[in-house]
Amino acid sequence: MADIIYINHQDVINFAASTVEELDAYAYEWEGEGVVHIHLHPLKHSFGDLSKVSFSRASSVSTYEGDSRFVVLVATKENIASATLFERTSDGYSEKDYVYIPSQEDLYSRNEGLLELDILSKKKVIIVGLGSFGSQIAIELAKAGVGVFSLFDFDRVELHNLSRHTCNANELGRLKTDAIEDAILGKNPYATVKKYPVNINEHLYLLEKELKNADLMICATDNNASRYNISKALVRHKKIGIFGRAITRAEGGDVFRYRPGGPCYGCLIGADFLPPEEITNVESARGDGRIPAYVSAEDANAIVQVGLSSDIQPICNLMVKISLLELSRGLNSGINSLEDDLVYDCYIWANRREKNYKEWHPFFQAGKNRTVIRWYGVNVPRNEGCAICSHNVELDVSGVGGFKPQVDDLGDVTLEL
Amino acid sequence: MIDQQRYQLEKGVLCQEHFPENAYRFVGIGTPEPYLRIAAKSNSGKVYTLHIDLKEFPEQIPEVYITKMLKDYHGNNMDHPSASLHTLSSKNGWTRICHYGTNAWTPMVSLYRIYVKCRLWIEAYEAHLATGNNLDYYLIHAH
Ligand SMILES: [Zn+2]
Repeated sequence: MADIIYINHQDVINFAASTVEELDAYAYEWEGEGVVHIHLHPLKHSFGDLSKVSFSRASSVSTYEGDSRFVVLVATKENIASATLFERTSDGYSEKDYVYIPSQEDLYSRNEGLLELDILSKKKVIIVGLGSFGSQIAIELAKAGVGVFSLFDFDRVELHNLSRHTCNANELGRLKTDAIEDAILGKNPYATVKKYPVNINEHLYLLEKELKNADLMICATDNNASRYNISKALVRHKKIGIFGRAITRAEGGDVFRYRPGGPCYGCLIGADFLPPEEITNVESARGDGRIPAYVSAEDANAIVQVGLSSDIQPICNLMVKISLLELSRGLNSGINSLEDDLVYDCYIWANRREKNYKEWHPFFQAGKNRTVIRWYGVNVPRNEGCAICSHNVELDVSGVGGFKPQVDDLGDVTLEL
Repeated sequence: MIDQQRYQLEKGVLCQEHFPENAYRFVGIGTPEPYLRIAAKSNSGKVYTLHIDLKEFPEQIPEVYITKMLKDYHGNNMDHPSASLHTLSSKNGWTRICHYGTNAWTPMVSLYRIYVKCRLWIEAYEAHLATGNNLDYYLIHAH
């Protein structure tokens, strides 16, 4: 049964404008997903047609009695498997050349030297949120050889996602977890992918269960409630988490890394403004400048990501780099030197001199001034009373504008229950 | 959802701020539907009961209701989202108060501080009833 059906609008318009009474058309469905796309013309995608193939141990194709289009004769000599391929023609089966889709070992050996791929293939990464950030990060990690994924997102691919998402128009309506699983397996066919199309704020136990044996969690959601929930889980299970977001219209963004014992996302947001001392330290190499106002409480939740895909890519890219660094930390990999570079808790990026970055110097001849299209690192102080990561939580019990109401006159009231 | 540790902390704060024990009650802690009922007395002496939903507290701003349907200056039910009256969509026939903006929310905010904001809302509401000015006129958007 199809639950979600898309019909090509242009086809409907063209058919209406034609004089044809009836035409056979094409309905495509991802097996078992209940999502169907209907087109008047066959789609030119690679898996549109299914042919029958037989694998056989027969020594010669002449002894094969079936009617498959392809026959793969498999033989083993001195423990090495080999294959001979035949295709059926009008004159019977004729031998064909072929190329192997790489085996797991071959696939990983291509990046060898830069990253410990056989080790990355055993690393497990949880990605929460498969929007414009999470989808790109998932694919980049798969390309780098990460082998085990747990994906959390309850959303489906929709029109408004498309311009910044890795999914294409033929995937409209699919669960993002299904679509990104395909994308991961396309890059790394030997990856293991677990899918959770749920809202983590309502299914935290699933996240915690997955986190127990995970090496890293990517938080690519678009709301602080989930960031706080994820932070809590990271603190509890002593795991590393990478958070990333763009600010309004993606004029900039930031990346935050949680490491067990260090400041958490609650500490970051609770800090309201990043402390000037730290910024001065960062800036001593880069020049003067104040920390952008967007880390204030007011803008902390400004996550409307309506910028260009190219504006969020630098942010995704750093999230991927930090992830790979963390996953191969302590191993002898080609990116080890980054351990001395990427030491900050939080990283800040600006794409354009707008809003928060209006006063920044043009990139051209900037000297030591703060500019766009450069990363700035900031250390975040740990809040000893943080509600997320501290054992000695100090809640905000302040009044509002000096007002603290009288409550001792409530002794005579009857509470409505 | 509010956990035991946070619950104890919040209770401790209310105690420290000298709330009489009859004026509040935590209900359903440890269940999927925890909430706090707490009384508020306006400067004019009117008593209101606040219902604070703790299902997603403190990661998310808790929903706060006055346990009845309030009427505005013009006699209309305060049951819909209104920026000028600082209300949200009602539930159970209760008026829902807009007490915190998402941008200002952090999990550090105590239920006591939310209570203070709701008390200010109530004062603004009563001033609105007396003058017809919107609640906006009295409530600063500060946090
Ligand atoms: Zn913290």
